[in-house]
Amino acid sequence: MQYEQKNSDALVDMIDIHKYFGSVQVLRGIDFHVDRQEIVGLLGDNGAGKSTLIKVLTGFHSLTRGQIFFDDQAVNIHSPHDARELGIETVHQDLALVPLMSIARNFWLGQEPTYEVGPFKFLDKKMMARESIQALADVGIHIRDSEETVGTMSGGERQSIAIGRAVYFGKKLLILDEPTSALSVGETQKVLDYTIAAKEKGMSVIFITHNIRHVYEVADRFTIIERGHKLGDFHKSEVTENEVADMIVTGQIPERLRLYEEEEEGGD
Amino acid sequence: MMQAYFEGKREASNIGMLVAGLIFGFAVLGFLIAYGVAFGWVPLGERIDILRSSLNSVEHIVIFASLVYAACCLRTAYGLYTREQASLRWSQWMLFVTVMIGGAILLSVAIPVGLKFSLLLGQHSDLRNAIAADTGGLASMALAIGEALISICLFVIALLALLALLVFLIPPLESLRDRPGARLIASPPRKFVQAILTVLFAGVVCFLVAGAAVVPEYPGQTTIRDAENHRLLAGLLFFLPAFFAYRVVRQVEEQSDELRRALALTPGKYIRANLAKSPSAGAIIGFIAIFMGFTMATDLFLEPSSVASFLSNVATKGVIAIGVTYLMISGEFDLSVGSILGVTALSFMNFMTHGAPVFGVVGPVPAALLAIFIAFILGAINGVLLISTRIPSFIVTLGTMLAFRAITLVAIAGGRILRYSDHHESLPVIGISNIVFLALAVVGLGVVAFTAYRVLPVLYRGASHAWSIRRNNGDFGTSGAIVRSAVFALILLILLAIVVWLLAVLSYHGSASGGQIVEVGYFDLFNGRVLQIGSEGDFFHMQIPRNANVRLAIVWWFIFVAIFHVVLTSTSFGNSIFATGGNEGAARAQGVNVDRVKLQNFVIVALLTGIAAIYETARNPGVDPLKGTGWELEVIAMTVIGGALLTGGYGSVVGSLLGALIFGMLQTGLVLVGIESRLFSGTIGVIIIAAVVLNTLVRGARQN
Repeated sequence: MQYEQKNSDALVDMIDIHKYFGSVQVLRGIDFHVDRQEIVGLLGDNGAGKSTLIKVLTGFHSLTRGQIFFDDQAVNIHSPHDARELGIETVHQDLALVPLMSIARNFWLGQEPTYEVGPFKFLDKKMMARESIQALADVGIHIRDSEETVGTMSGGERQSIAIGRAVYFGKKLLILDEPTSALSVGETQKVLDYTIAAKEKGMSVIFITHNIRHVYEVADRFTIIERGHKLGDFHKSEVTENEVADMIVTGQIPERLRLYEEEEEGGD
Repeated sequence: MMQAYFEGKREASNIGMLVAGLIFGFAVLGFLIAYGVAFGWVPLGERIDILRSSLNSVEHIVIFASLVYAACCLRTAYGLYTREQASLRWSQWMLFVTVMIGGAILLSVAIPVGLKFSLLLGQHSDLRNAIAADTGGLASMALAIGEALISICLFVIALLALLALLVFLIPPLESLRDRPGARLIASPPRKFVQAILTVLFAGVVCFLVAGAAVVPEYPGQTTIRDAENHRLLAGLLFFLPAFFAYRVVRQVEEQSDELRRALALTPGKYIRANLAKSPSAGAIIGFIAIFMGFTMATDLFLEPSSVASFLSNVATKGVIAIGVTYLMISGEFDLSVGSILGVTALSFMNFMTHGAPVFGVVGPVPAALLAIFIAFILGAINGVLLISTRIPSFIVTLGTMLAFRAITLVAIAGGRILRYSDHHESLPVIGISNIVFLALAVVGLGVVAFTAYRVLPVLYRGASHAWSIRRNNGDFGTSGAIVRSAVFALILLILLAIVVWLLAVLSYHGSASGGQIVEVGYFDLFNGRVLQIGSEGDFFHMQIPRNANVRLAIVWWFIFVAIFHVVLTSTSFGNSIFATGGNEGAARAQGVNVDRVKLQNFVIVALLTGIAAIYETARNPGVDPLKGTGWELEVIAMTVIGGALLTGGYGSVVGSLLGALIFGMLQTGLVLVGIESRLFSGTIGVIIIAAVVLNTLVRGARQN
């Protein structure tokens, strides 16, 4: 089955995504796109399929049916490594950092800078320390010592470092999976600041959460998912915070927006 | 108090001067020791002749060390005298060192006395009655006081435990928790704990006194030499004043933040902070404690023959422990190493006696390579099974442990031992042209020169930078960079000396025998006995005593440790190993190929086990089908003592080295001390638990 890219300008365009785990249909034909330099809030109640959709995009799961376009190219993403090669950086809920390793080593994990002595490659520890401190400072995270282990830090600090790393390495797309679920109010605000910093660096951001209050402030557009289907795309100008919250809870599009949505669907 | 002294207050000048004088006294003591050793008044070797002119190497070292110590003391005392603030930091260190020296001397008396006394008590059941009957004697008095004090302590502790049990373990007493009495039990006042500890300590001291009085009366079984009792006085002389002064010289408020921070880091804190950074802190502490303990408990422990024997015994297991550490850091586990060792040893021997499948009967080197290839396959089987089935590695390797063992059992029917000498008349030899040695030496020279070229300028810059900071601040702190570069330069010099010596020896051999080919036994090359280092007349010549069993595998082991340590800590492969064990999901999300890392580690373990099997076979050219049974748990014990976490993500190769050394020291030392060797496994069990608790404590200290 051949797919065509629908949104010609989008950075990511996922079309008719199906994902079945055995007989369980988690995603049932979702269209999802992210424009360039846009912050998209991917919303939905627990179990709606947000994380699965993202794991399909980042190569953790292979898709059952559908097609992904990235940067106007049809791509097949089979592993996290492939996603990274494309320029997609992800901050996972619980898979962000290795607690027993130092900040610098976590920061560079998987793409360590090395210098060569004959045929051997050794870690460039000085550069790792210097660059990680500098890069984290650039997005507003100030750490004392890059040799400190991550395990000694608070949840917010860890999340900050993971996001700072993703912003530093991310070339095109940054995915934040529930980045604020375990954070205090102040830490949440910081994470939102990093998100805007990433957008200003020219990246697009997918911000996954089930808490609209965290994302309403920074997102340009909301995509709401309900039991494997897409409820709709809404620009920030169209909806209020409360309406979005209602949609997540009830799974119904409010009266006021329904007509407009149908028109847009018809227009395609 | 010291702050007042530095501010020039009059009333504090006495105490400041006292500390300065004390440190000056220690300097004098250092000079006296150096003088005494240099002129033969304090013999440190087995020489009866007092008027000797030649000193042995230990005496040279002691002279040098005590001179350095004396000089440092002098400088510190001068600094204190002139009220130089920075000298406070040095004085802390000098006093700390002195406390340590005094404590070590005291312990070196206490440990043998206590040990011999307890052994005596164990041997003679009526000894206690005999001592008690001797009323009025020092021994009976001390023993009575000691037993009384210790039993008081035990009584109080038991009472407290009972009370605590009553208060906390009986559920409905919620309301009791807020009573003051309950709080006292939950966290007893510091003074109270200190008092109990003091009483306990006094009891132990009384026991020791009783021991010192009684033990010499049983010359047949065991003795305490006069020298040991005389050391007590010297130890007290060192320990008490230094300890007092160390408590007095506390940090002071400084003008500059940096100085204050430098001074706030007392030696105790500094050492603790540095230990906490190392994954093998528990192993380091345990190694030092056990080494010192055995050294003090028996003179036999530092004999070349015992050192050589424990090193040779654990060298092969130590090589395997390196691989197991890698595997454990990546979160997996290998129970099959013992069986892999058996299979590799068997195939190595079999290829040389009965022949390999395609090649027929082969020489030692191809046989070794083929055998190691078989180990590689077995390791790969482990890894592939784990990755493809996702069964826990414990189960996978438990299965392969039994399965691989069957290979040796079937191949050698009837439990025979396959011996090299049954099939060949003499051990294999290889002729090595001295050009090979020469080439090796040239390569070594190149490596040393290259390292020096890369590292020395950086170190020099760091050192000179630190030196200029010191100049500007008038501080004698910030000397880490200087010390580091000095130590590294020294190491380079030693390496250079070794290479030059190698060259000299070779050119000597080359010229004398006209470039003749040197004949070396293959098995000697793998794991031979080293009889001497250098040849007669060389500067480096060292004759190894005939009863010392120094094996070449020790050298290989240390080389492997160095290589694998560098790979683990300074390559991206090492980084991915840590990540795989620390948080597999995070590693995968960051693009680390977790499965490949695990497979590679299983193969590394198997390869190292194969190499160890070659060493074992070369040491004793005969293979028993049950060879290596039980090794897997011993190796895991070494690794765990060395600080590796069973859950993965943490550990070090140096830790596994220390763990193996602790293992070997206990094996040899317990026998030398006179404790039943059957207690060995029990002791190891206690040590494992203690080491892991220590490691956990240190890691906890790091996180707070």
